[in-house]
Amino acid sequence: MKTRISILICGLALGSIVYAKSAHAEGPSGKKEASTSTVTQSYDAGAMRAQGEQRFRANCGRCHAAPQKFPPRMMATVLRHMRVRATITDDDMRLVLFYMSQ
Amino acid sequence: MAVASADVFLVLFFAATMAAAQLPNADRPVPILTGTAGTFSFVTAGQQELNAQINPVLLLPLGDRWLVEGRGEFQGAFQRPPDGGPYGGPVSKNLDYVQADYIANPYVTVTIGRFLTPFGIFNERLYPIWIRSLQQDPLILPLSAESSDGLMLRGGFPANSKVNFTYAAYVSAVSTSHNNLQSDRNVGGRVSFFLPGPRVEIGASWQKLLQDARANAFGFHFAWLSTQLPLNVHSEYARSNQGSGYWIDGAYRLSQLHFWQKAMRRTEIAGRAEQFFSGSISPNGALALGLSPANAREGEFGLNYYLHDGLKVVGSYGRQFSSAGNMNLWTAGIAYRFLIPLGRVGTQ
Repeated sequence: MKTRISILICGLALGSIVYAKSAHAEGPSGKKEASTSTVTQSYDAGAMRAQGEQRFRANCGRCHAAPQKFPPRMMATVLRHMRVRATITDDDMRLVLFYMSQ
Repeated sequence: MAVASADVFLVLFFAATMAAAQLPNADRPVPILTGTAGTFSFVTAGQQELNAQINPVLLLPLGDRWLVEGRGEFQGAFQRPPDGGPYGGPVSKNLDYVQADYIANPYVTVTIGRFLTPFGIFNERLYPIWIRSLQQDPLILPLSAESSDGLMLRGGFPANSKVNFTYAAYVSAVSTSHNNLQSDRNVGGRVSFFLPGPRVEIGASWQKLLQDARANAFGFHFAWLSTQLPLNVHSEYARSNQGSGYWIDGAYRLSQLHFWQKAMRRTEIAGRAEQFFSGSISPNGALALGLSPANAREGEFGLNYYLHDGLKVVGSYGRQFSSAGNMNLWTAGIAYRFLIPLGRVGTQ
């Protein structure tokens, strides 16, 4: 049983790394760049801010009071942390970062 | 042994400051020292405890995909001896998590190290004192391991335009060598669905202990952030061989009241109802784990006042009904969240 679990975990880890490598090979930032590009093309700045605020309230407000805005370099770190902690989606993270760093 | 957490934290701190010094790009994330500090007076069944704590969190981003992070817990719990005299008590140090996160792609983040066990939502997301609306821990919190040492895969992505799916799966190794790094050998996971429209999240967790009793634990959670009212609701149910139970709490900002608006906007009322049912474990065993030694019901009501978004004054009253004895639970204190960049951040 434990061998099967170990194999499963290792397989998933390897799979994700291989996937990441292949995504990276598509471009300098891989999927991330494509995603950013899609988001940027889909919204103008005003719409992105509105979407960012909406997603900020929906994601962050579920657990804690709305924090103040911080400088972009700090927000980038905080959002990377929250992406992991609260499993925020890639798009939500980008839009919230855009909104919080305006 | 207890020095280990401080050592690890110092190493991370120096690594963060060195990394900050080497970051050339103005848009790159900067290392941050954040965390919470607070002091509380807990009166439980007439016995007062003065509690002072500081819980630093270090966030060290590396490149585009890595984050090394850790949280220490330094806490003093002081009580007056039954025969009088000055307050005294233990000062404890604990390493809640120290982990390396690799964001492999939009769907998978690989975490390795010591991490908060993803069981339910309280342990991972609501535990910090500046976040929780009531300072008393839920009765069922000790039913699952708070920290695990091992490997975790997690992520969140849109399942369709109306639903986000999130997951976490982990395997943990047994660790007994350090008091601050203890963990059990177990596997587990959590899945949840978040509906951004109505702002509802529902999920389920599972954990299998791979040692001793090889027991299973499972739970469900629910979170709702109203779109109409400044109301936030959370709930969890958990069951294991050590017991079972549930809690539901709500926090309501008084910002919609039309009088004293400046003060009301900063005021929050909170309430929690919970119940615990003892499992196949002795009363002494339950106490050692931090569980109630007998079946218990509890209701708690609190008032929080936010001086600003990271600083709040809290007060609450609760009543526990248990076959081991009923008791009152009073809490008063202050909780603060700090956030310090360890490098140049430029201007907002």
